[in-house]
Amino acid sequence: MNISKDQIEDLYKFTRQHFVEHFDLQTELVDHLANDIETIWVEQPNLSYIEARDKAFKKFGIFGFMDVVSQRQKAMGKRYNKYLWQEFKQWVTFPKLLITLSIFFGFYTLLSFSFASYVLGITFGLIFIWCLFKSILLKRQFKRRKTVSKKKWMLEEIIFKQAGVSGLILISQFPSLFRFLDELFLSQVMIIVWSSTITLFIIWMYVSFEYLPKKAEDLLKETYPEFSL
Amino acid sequence: MANSKLYKGSLVTIILKLLNESDKMYGYEITQKVKELTKGELKITEGALYPALHKLEAEGLLEVEVKKVDNRLRKYYKLTEKGNKETVSKLQELQDYIKTMQVLVNPKLSLE
Repeated sequence: MNISKDQIEDLYKFTRQHFVEHFDLQTELVDHLANDIETIWVEQPNLSYIEARDKAFKKFGIFGFMDVVSQRQKAMGKRYNKYLWQEFKQWVTFPKLLITLSIFFGFYTLLSFSFASYVLGITFGLIFIWCLFKSILLKRQFKRRKTVSKKKWMLEEIIFKQAGVSGLILISQFPSLFRFLDELFLSQVMIIVWSSTITLFIIWMYVSFEYLPKKAEDLLKETYPEFSL
Repeated sequence: MANSKLYKGSLVTIILKLLNESDKMYGYEITQKVKELTKGELKITEGALYPALHKLEAEGLLEVEVKKVDNRLRKYYKLTEKGNKETVSKLQELQDYIKTMQVLVNPKLSLE
């Protein structure tokens, strides 16, 4: 006996009820459960669909799909970091390296003056506001995409909702660091450290909040062959 | 053996070996194939199989293909070039481990 189209729909609903929110993982689990139900029916043809479904689900253990979901999230986070790193590397190699160096020397010059602490404060303030603005914008965009497609993909959620969150947390700690900057002039070493930190931070935030969301369609197609189906 | 923790460290090697022997496989097929080959002695649990597959995919050892089969979508896994190389090294690793275990559990046999 083969599983019907309605039962497939029910299996999607069943995975959602068991905290599998993303379509990519739902699809894989639905196919697994469907295959197992069909095998169970060969051995026990008298079992109802619900009984067979519950029997198949029991094989996932007492935590159900939870472990599969959390491990999948870990693996997808790794994938996202790979994309992030791939792009980041471009900025430290030619030709984008020229832009990176320009940002670095720009800050190096500005931080050599007596108003260095103001430059730092204003820079981090601006980065923070921009990141916050982009983060809200991306979250809205994600919501719209979800409403249109009626599907939620794990990588898509990471790109649009979790992008640069760690950066935002890091930057929110800046005021406590700023209190220690009471000297008018920064030492040569500190100028280099701050200029490099700001430069790398700007690139990291740009890649997370601007570049990867713009490339989302390509990345999703590359990650999920079913995305274009 | 069904619930043995012994096979857990070799799960990745088992998956890679099976995929090495066929063009592509899907999750459920892997569980059934292991059951069939070991005559039910070894059962890969669902809760362990998918995390392992997703990890291998994230590491670039596996690539995926999705096809519509009957009334549903099916995700197939296949080895990448990197995955093929890793299979050879993992199998060697496992064979060395078996030899070492042999020395420990059955020293007489290993000296013959």
